Amino acid sequence: MKIDYINPFNNAVFNAMDTMVGIQVSRDKPYLKKDNYTTGDITGIMGMAGNYLSGSVALTFPEQSILKIYEKMIGESADSLSSEVQDMVGELVNIVVGGAKTEFTELGISYQLSIPMVVTGPKHVIKHKYENPIIAIPFKWENNPFTMEISIKLLSQAKK
Amino acid sequence: MKVLVVDDSVTMRRIIINSLKSSGYDDLVEAGDGIEALANMEGVELVLTDWNMPNMDGLTFVKELKQSDVYKDIPIIMITTEGGKGEVIEALKQGVNNYIVKPFDKDTLLDKVKKTISG
Repeated sequence: MKIDYINPFNNAVFNAMDTMVGIQVSRDKPYLKKDNYTTGDITGIMGMAGNYLSGSVALTFPEQSILKIYEKMIGESADSLSSEVQDMVGELVNIVVGGAKTEFTELGISYQLSIPMVVTGPKHVIKHKYENPIIAIPFKWENNPFTMEISIKLLSQAKK
Repeated sequence: MKVLVVDDSVTMRRIIINSLKSSGYDDLVEAGDGIEALANMEGVELVLTDWNMPNMDGLTFVKELKQSDVYKDIPIIMITTEGGKGEVIEALKQGVNNYIVKPFDKDTLLDKVKKTISG
């Protein structure tokens, strides 16, 4: 998968966390996932469908990470993966995939977004849209890790 | 000033409402989609609406307002992840007064609200 197709999502994570949450996150080395289990306790996933690119993107957070992000973003504390925390995870994945979409339009690529879906539970299974390789990109804010999963299928060459 | 905040995300509504409250706006109503918004338009003087929502999306909601003799002149700010040039042009064409792309910060939000109100 060309880096051109990953960078818009990375940029969107940095931008969303900086602008909406007010935190600076760092990125670790990406790796290929070998199974469908997530590394987090809560995951937001969103599908994309277009002429050139289709697939899905997920953001998965350990409980302690997302509770700290929730406090920072909303200004109130939460002590469980409540419906409010779940809603925030759905909105974060929406902002990331939507932000990447804006960057992709400059590469001549457009896609439609699905409604975000949120799943909770320790080490749960997330099934991406296609049986494509899933790239996992670890991020961290202080001692709070989270991971973005990207599974993309390129349907044809984009027109610049 | 009565402000209506329309977004299917509770989180986003809370962020927008908290920002407006901190700047002195205290007459705030909220809705989760365009249908709920239309039912809560009484006395509203400014609308902030998302684009992608279930049941009735933001653009359809804007079109409904613009077809209404009562509500057609109420200023509208669209707050959305749809940041493409085509989407912005389409929203402005339909009568949206100002446009904010998510993610946004509080200063951007309050600045656009101020500019929209002052016309």
